[in-house]
Amino acid sequence: MLEIKNLQASINKKTILKGVNLTIKPGELHAIMGPNGSGKSTLANVLSGKNGYEISGEVNYRGKSLNNISVDERAQKGIFLAFQYPLEIPGVNTNNFIKTSLNSIRKSKGKEELDTLAFLKLVKEKSSELGIDEKILSRQLNVGFSGGEKKKNEILQMKILDPNLSILDETDSGLDIDALKIVAKGVNSSRNNEKSFLVITHYQRLLDHIKPDFVHVLSDGKIIKTGCGGLAEELEKTGYKKLK
Amino acid sequence: MHNFEIDSTQIDKIKKITTEEKSFRIKNLEFFKATGFPNKRFEDWKFSDFKDIVDKNFKELDTKKVSSNIKKIDLLRDFEHNYILLLNGNLHSSNFDHEDKNKITINSYDKSIDYKRSKNPLVCLNHALAENGYSLEIDKGYKFNKVLVIYNLFTKDIKNKILNNKNKIKINEKSELHVIEYTINESKSKFINNVYESIVLEKNSKFKSLFIQSNKSDGFFHKFLKNKLSLNSEYLNLIFSSGLKFNKLDIECDLVEENSRCNILSALFLNENEHQEIKTLINHLAPNCKSNQKVKNVLSSNSKGVYQGKIYVKDIAQKTDAYQLSKALLLDDNTEFNSKPELEIYADDVKCSHGSTSGNIDHESLHYLMTRGLNREDSTKLLIKGFLSDIIEFIKNPKIKKFIESMLEKQINEH
Repeated sequence: MLEIKNLQASINKKTILKGVNLTIKPGELHAIMGPNGSGKSTLANVLSGKNGYEISGEVNYRGKSLNNISVDERAQKGIFLAFQYPLEIPGVNTNNFIKTSLNSIRKSKGKEELDTLAFLKLVKEKSSELGIDEKILSRQLNVGFSGGEKKKNEILQMKILDPNLSILDETDSGLDIDALKIVAKGVNSSRNNEKSFLVITHYQRLLDHIKPDFVHVLSDGKIIKTGCGGLAEELEKTGYKKLK
Repeated sequence: MHNFEIDSTQIDKIKKITTEEKSFRIKNLEFFKATGFPNKRFEDWKFSDFKDIVDKNFKELDTKKVSSNIKKIDLLRDFEHNYILLLNGNLHSSNFDHEDKNKITINSYDKSIDYKRSKNPLVCLNHALAENGYSLEIDKGYKFNKVLVIYNLFTKDIKNKILNNKNKIKINEKSELHVIEYTINESKSKFINNVYESIVLEKNSKFKSLFIQSNKSDGFFHKFLKNKLSLNSEYLNLIFSSGLKFNKLDIECDLVEENSRCNILSALFLNENEHQEIKTLINHLAPNCKSNQKVKNVLSSNSKGVYQGKIYVKDIAQKTDAYQLSKALLLDDNTEFNSKPELEIYADDVKCSHGSTSGNIDHESLHYLMTRGLNREDSTKLLIKGFLSDIIEFIKNPKIKKFIESMLEKQINEH
């Protein structure tokens, strides 16, 4: 699904990623943990195709290089990024936005666009599956949403857009236990042997609900340790310092 | 442009004119001639040098009368409405089939000469030469059932003309009127339209007006709007007049009695060398009045936007609540937005505030939308629509709202 070889990324002449290697196969869920400033969010941004980074190394998605592939094309090809801080977009209705988004992805795949009725049915289905109040969707995109509502909205978008590779950038930060369970449910109910996940987190508590196949520790722009789910528990006890 | 001479014999040609009116006109013509078109040395024109604009765009200009005619006009089908049809500013016809016609008086322009000397040369020019326009009066206690559309049609044969029009609307006690001024430009050549309009709101009356163009044009527009608001009256002006080469709206609102409320709201998408200015002067002359101004501009391709907003609060106008906000979104480096807020306050128990921001499209927001599969162009358009949308929310009638939304969308999509 995703193959990262010696990925280096710098912004404003500061090198953040210093040679990341990572391979995610279809059906796998990888977690990335690491201290503040280790480059976790940069990795998520670079994978989404965000402008402003100087990049070297290779990133291949489903066997093809992502070099020069724009942000929107990556999304159309099935890469989804759930933001750590979802942006507030005043004046844009959430439902209309998700519909436009879904239809531009469907269109790029040569699929028929969904009409409003079919779309609303899909929204109802997915939001009740996650236990999300669909009322928030008639409001302006993320405007006045609580931290939890914003994150739930990201997960709902993930469910509706149905990507192949989902990258969750600290989606669990700032969530209460109920919201955390909704996020976990969103991920678990999407898992199958075709879809892959890259879950970036600070804490082990999300990984109690989402069982990762692999846990990586990112520190100072490099993956310094890889293990199974048990690694997260170990880190929770010992912290990152001992690893260095 | 050289040698723009206004023929004072034109005043002689005006029929049925009293000696007083004639001397009023001649005096105003002299005022105009003393300065000519206002240039940037006039404080009120510092961001819109009208003389320079005229020089650059017109080789010749005249103020001679045009007598145009049209066979038929395509009325809007989007919502039911009454209408007035203006042909180059001249009252052509009207239709009030949805209303009690006994309550409505419509005439050609108001001949009164009860005006103070204006510092605005274009107002003087208008006072000297205007002989077209309309005058509308609504009787006491009458609320319109349907909106009134003022079709403001400019014909093909007005090349290099200056059209001076004078309009007046009077809404008597407890009456209510909603107006959409809909400008249609058939003219493919350059012309100037110079309008003086006064609106009088009597006690407990309400007036809402909305400006919009049907299409782009090479018209150069100046309108001076004088509004007088009495006890408990309410005025709302929604400005969506994108698509004109030049447009300056100079709005003066006198809140002369208590609890009157004035709202001036604008959402403009300026493109391709367009230049628009909104200048306001809100005079709080009585206690407990409220004024609210919100001006939003999106600027693209060499366009220029200006907002000069002044709030004046007289010493007796305690408990005034006055607010103004200007927000500009600049899409290109070659665009320009100027904002000049002014507060002049002589009362000590008031709430007055102003704010002004201008900036580019937020790249983080753009990135967020693009990660959901929308391309850069569609994401940008979505952000522009979002930026202007809160002004559209002031339109309560769903059909009219839809109509305005689709007009605005058309302008944004043409970008």
